[in-house]
Amino acid sequence: MRVGGRSALVAISLGVLAWAAAAAQAKELTFWSHWAAELPKREFVEAVIKEFEAKNPGTTIKATWYEKTALYAGLKTALRAGQAPDIFYAEPDQAEYMDNGFLLDLSGLDWSKVEPWAKEAWTHKGKPYGLPLEAWTMELYYNTKMMEGLGVQVPDNRQMSPDAFMDMVKKAKAKGITPMALGVGDRPYPGAHLTHEALVKRLGTDDYDKLLRGKLPWTDPRVVDTLKWIRSLTEAGLLPNTFSTLKLAEAHVYFHTNPGALTFLNGSWYTSRAFNPVDKGGQPKDFPLGIMQFPAVPGAVCNECRTIAIGGSYVANAETKNRKEVLAFLGTFLSQEVGNRWLEKVQVQTGIKTDASKVKDTQAAAYFSMIEKTNAGAKYYFGIPIQVMTGKPKEVYIQVFNNAFPAGIISVEDAVKQQAAAY
Amino acid sequence: MTASVLKRTLLLLGLSLYTAFASGPFVWAAMMSLRTTTEIHRSHFALPFPAHWHKFPEAWFNSNYATYFGNSVQVVVTAVVILTVVGAMAAHCLARYRFRLNRVIYFVLFSTIIFPPQITIISLFQILVQYGLYNSKVGLTLVYVAIQLPLTIYILESFFARIPSDLFDAARMDGYSDWEIFWRVALPIALPAVATTIILNFILLWNEFLYAVVLITDEDNRTLPLGIQRFIGDTQEDVGMIATGLMIAIIPVVVVYAFFSEKLIQGMTAGAVK
Amino acid sequence: MGEAPAHRDDGLRKPWGTIVAFLLPAVTIYVALTAYPAVRTLWNSFHKVLPRRDEYVGLANYVELAGDEIFWKAVRNTIVWACTSPLVEVSVAMLLALALYAKVPGARFFRVAWFTPVLMSYVVVGILWLWIYNYDWGPVNAALRALGLGALAHPWLGDPATALPSLIFVTSWMWTGFNMVVLLAALHSLPREVIEAAELDNCGWGGKLVFVILPLTRATVLNLIVLSFIGKMKIFDLVWITTKGNPLWATETVSTYVYKRAFEWTTFDLGYPSTIATVWFVIVLTTVLAMTWAFRRREKLEF
Repeated sequence: MRVGGRSALVAISLGVLAWAAAAAQAKELTFWSHWAAELPKREFVEAVIKEFEAKNPGTTIKATWYEKTALYAGLKTALRAGQAPDIFYAEPDQAEYMDNGFLLDLSGLDWSKVEPWAKEAWTHKGKPYGLPLEAWTMELYYNTKMMEGLGVQVPDNRQMSPDAFMDMVKKAKAKGITPMALGVGDRPYPGAHLTHEALVKRLGTDDYDKLLRGKLPWTDPRVVDTLKWIRSLTEAGLLPNTFSTLKLAEAHVYFHTNPGALTFLNGSWYTSRAFNPVDKGGQPKDFPLGIMQFPAVPGAVCNECRTIAIGGSYVANAETKNRKEVLAFLGTFLSQEVGNRWLEKVQVQTGIKTDASKVKDTQAAAYFSMIEKTNAGAKYYFGIPIQVMTGKPKEVYIQVFNNAFPAGIISVEDAVKQQAAAY
Repeated sequence: MTASVLKRTLLLLGLSLYTAFASGPFVWAAMMSLRTTTEIHRSHFALPFPAHWHKFPEAWFNSNYATYFGNSVQVVVTAVVILTVVGAMAAHCLARYRFRLNRVIYFVLFSTIIFPPQITIISLFQILVQYGLYNSKVGLTLVYVAIQLPLTIYILESFFARIPSDLFDAARMDGYSDWEIFWRVALPIALPAVATTIILNFILLWNEFLYAVVLITDEDNRTLPLGIQRFIGDTQEDVGMIATGLMIAIIPVVVVYAFFSEKLIQGMTAGAVK
Repeated sequence: MGEAPAHRDDGLRKPWGTIVAFLLPAVTIYVALTAYPAVRTLWNSFHKVLPRRDEYVGLANYVELAGDEIFWKAVRNTIVWACTSPLVEVSVAMLLALALYAKVPGARFFRVAWFTPVLMSYVVVGILWLWIYNYDWGPVNAALRALGLGALAHPWLGDPATALPSLIFVTSWMWTGFNMVVLLAALHSLPREVIEAAELDNCGWGGKLVFVILPLTRATVLNLIVLSFIGKMKIFDLVWITTKGNPLWATETVSTYVYKRAFEWTTFDLGYPSTIATVWFVIVLTTVLAMTWAFRRREKLEF
């Protein structure tokens, strides 16, 4: 026994020594993130990094900021080559990361600080893999002054009827105003917002889910009817002529500055670009921003149905040599105080549990009360189609429903036929 | 008389129009590079008055252009040096010595010119990963040597083959070794052809994009074309700044071209002229 | 690929040591970084190549490829590109070369200026042309509007009907000067008397072109066409910078599709893209060989 006790003592002291040596040895975690141009988010994360480094002397974070396309291209090859950074940006549509075992199981984090549905978005085969920092809802932003100028009323429940919406499109068009800013120059989803927001209302969340997963045929008459309705809107001139090549950041500017559009269908992360300084692509000072719901859809079973999604999240490399530090870093995000800071600074929702009433900044508070109003009584579907689909259906969906269908270069019949054939 | 003058004028007019068409895009980009985005959006084709020269240092310092340039120089120069030596040795050997596999080797190397890059690029990715050369300048340099080697050998071989063999016999009489014959007789004579391949390889590799985009992800190892792509991605809708960034990439080429236009033209067309 | 020159050592003395020493570096590089990867791609094409595991699937990838409409669209686009662009480039280049051959003032300047685009990387060229085709303020639409043809203003790269032709136009813009320089050199190497004789025979411009110049520069012209064809069968950079294959796969080329399947799609599988590469390799090889053979039957072609 004595011998055992002694060896235990030796083991413990060795352990302590090893730990001390490890602590003394400076560690650098590599970190790749999107949001190079989205200053509020970037500054928020940089502040968290500083906080972490102050609390963990000897561990530093080497952050590289990218634009999304460059980041994704780099990550795909780096992961494949086993040279990915310790921590990186991802969104829940990247199921392939988990399927191929690239991500570290994050069960060790304090998940009680996270909204259950947000955890669910990142849960794969029972284990959570991503820290759901950003959450967003689909919103229809509009220019209130322009709307008044056209003599169009937004109803109290913030949702126009199909007829009223069509009427609005025609009135705007008659005055030479683009009714809705939207562009698919550099993203695989903005054009598709138009169809999925309509389909989730027409079908209700259950059937909509079946549709995305290939369990309900795309040739279903309800789908075809809804697409025809959208086609009638695009034919009335809903979208800019530059739709196919307009980039995401350009679409923002198109809406609020040059040439100015009546509405802008976008995730509630609109703020992260629009609330930048004006010379960095932000909206003009005193821009008359209003928010309404996506219009009611003819024959809809659930006009209160809408999309909520987890957006920007942080995940860890399964092959990281610094597990403990990585978990400690991600853990730094998990507190109500940090969550509230995100709300106040970035003005987008988050998957971290927060208390919006604690947001002190008056502009942010006013903005969140608008978001709350349009979301009152909403029934959510979690995720946008490209987060649910994989492989060929996803590729075809992007080509057809993000690009070709809204651009009016493919008929309703061909669109559903191509999508149906992809499953 | 007047008819022929008219014809000449028309011809010159046509040629000038084509010149505007061929170089117009660069001139336009050069004008925009000196203007701010706000000015550009006011009028896209106005002259750059006042000229905002400060945009150049701004673009240079706000991005990693210094790193990109350094990497490009390092990778391309090393690759071209290796290519020249290795290629000239092989070409000299194939042109000078007669042995059974000579034409087989020549033909195998030569036919690689028509290979579409896809046939090697995926496995090159795997191989470089295996040997720890992925995402490194060394790996990219080696790949660059490999992709330009066939064309280099092809151009040099045809030149070496034209050197009269009397020269070599005389050199052998003087007691030159095989290596000395290559290094001190063949190579100096072939200098114009060697210069041609150096120029050709330099330009093609300086502009290379596909292999770089697959084999490099690290910011610190990006070559210039990848760097420009990155710069554009980050700068978003700031057209004026992108134009400045483009000009930074274009200017060195234009300067070199202004001084050595004949050499450059000769080098670039070397594979096509026979 | 001429005859083996007569001056080569007669083969009595074969300094094998020297030969091996001279060839070894080149052959090593070739085997390690060209031949071996090519063979490995072939091996990949019969497998599912996932991170950390490979799985033999026999001909499954090939079967899938046969029914892959995106692949066939990409093949069609690439072939259209490779068949139209060389003709445009070489014929415009021939006209320009003839104009300069006729001794216009400033010929040297024109020649240098027209050659410039080839020296630029496709990344630079791609961005410039994205702007040129911009719907709102690009010079193409601006010119149309200025001419009162505003109705023809078009999102050139956004419409599947015009996207591919617009990109083909860019490559032609880029390479015409290059072809012109080569043709001009070929013209200058022609015997003066032949052309002067044709002039004396009172041959018109068209006649001179068809009966004298074309037959004499035939080898160069065919050579340029083959070179340009090979180049276009590889096209990647320009598409990647401008359209990434959009809209509706209208500008998808085989190169971009291979890249997407290998490094962008969610599958992470390197086997299927290797299959595409292998099949494409066979297609390119046979076409080029067939072209060379067909051209050479009528006249010995060197390239």
